[in-house]
Amino acid sequence: MSKNAYTDALKNTLTEIKKICPDVSCSFIFTKDGTIVTGDSETAEETIQKTMYSFQSIAEKEDMIGGLKALIINGENGKVHISCINDMYLALATSKNADAAFLQAITHVLVPTVLKLLESIAPTPLQFAPSKQLVVDTLSGFFVGDSVQIDLEVLKEWSTLLNRKSIGEVKIEAFSGKTTQCVVREINDPKLKGIIRIPEKICKVLEVKKGELVRVKPTETRGDLNARQKQI
Amino acid sequence: MPAKSKSKEEEIENLQETLKDIKTKEGIIGYILRGPNSASIDLKDPTKIIDHAILSATALEAGQDISNTFEIGKVDSIILEGGNIKVLSMIIGDNRLSIFMEKNVDHDKLCEDLDLRL
Repeated sequence: MSKNAYTDALKNTLTEIKKICPDVSCSFIFTKDGTIVTGDSETAEETIQKTMYSFQSIAEKEDMIGGLKALIINGENGKVHISCINDMYLALATSKNADAAFLQAITHVLVPTVLKLLESIAPTPLQFAPSKQLVVDTLSGFFVGDSVQIDLEVLKEWSTLLNRKSIGEVKIEAFSGKTTQCVVREINDPKLKGIIRIPEKICKVLEVKKGELVRVKPTETRGDLNARQKQI
Repeated sequence: MPAKSKSKEEEIENLQETLKDIKTKEGIIGYILRGPNSASIDLKDPTKIIDHAILSATALEAGQDISNTFEIGKVDSIILEGGNIKVLSMIIGDNRLSIFMEKNVDHDKLCEDLDLRL
């Protein structure tokens, strides 16, 4: 089973939840490390990114409360409910009058059931590309090209985790929500860790400056997808 | 101006009275009430004051950010559920309140108590 089929199955689950509970206006699933697993078609990626950034600021302090199980925000005109399901987080935005108990009961049955079913079809759990927060360093000059540079340790970690020979491309997301995809190369200096060197023109596209944080994750190229399908 | 200040003072006094009552309930770990100029902290374990204060501030800030993202209006309450601790955070006037409790405590009942007595 491909990753796309996996996310499609979860997306369909979210659609069904929305049909059962029309009070749900937005729904998406993400992992603790900030990877979007899936989301309904109505929710903008920028909304998901912003929510994840806010959520992660709390998740960083989860040890104090014995792990983060749920975050509920009751607003004047609606509610946002983020709950932990099987190592992932399901976010639901609802109207103020939504029956939270009913919704919880449904989501905590439907989503784990679908996940269990998917696991039984594809016994090896699918790995989602783990994202990293890296500090921007700018690259300038005539010969910098369009590729970004990341330290070898990070690239090796991704390769091992995703069972790939190498990482060719990465997706970069700025805190403003701007994203771009670039070819990636390793930084030659082994002392430089935790940074990403980005050509100035790409920095302009992302609207980021030197010293700012960006989220970076490996992308799947067509070659990677073909190789994965052959394995399956 | 003096009348307005007095009502605000009364509001804080009422709130502190309510919190004293809440603190005596079973499963309540403590609370942090931060006003514009002062803070009241009553926690069972004083060695964790800073950790609790940071968590409280983060929850309130993240809650407001998420509320803005989804345009759900003014935040009434934020509930943070952990494996063994739960935090109820609210903004009451100029004050930011976080009540720390064990997981089995009914936070809805606490919200009612706070709403009714203010």
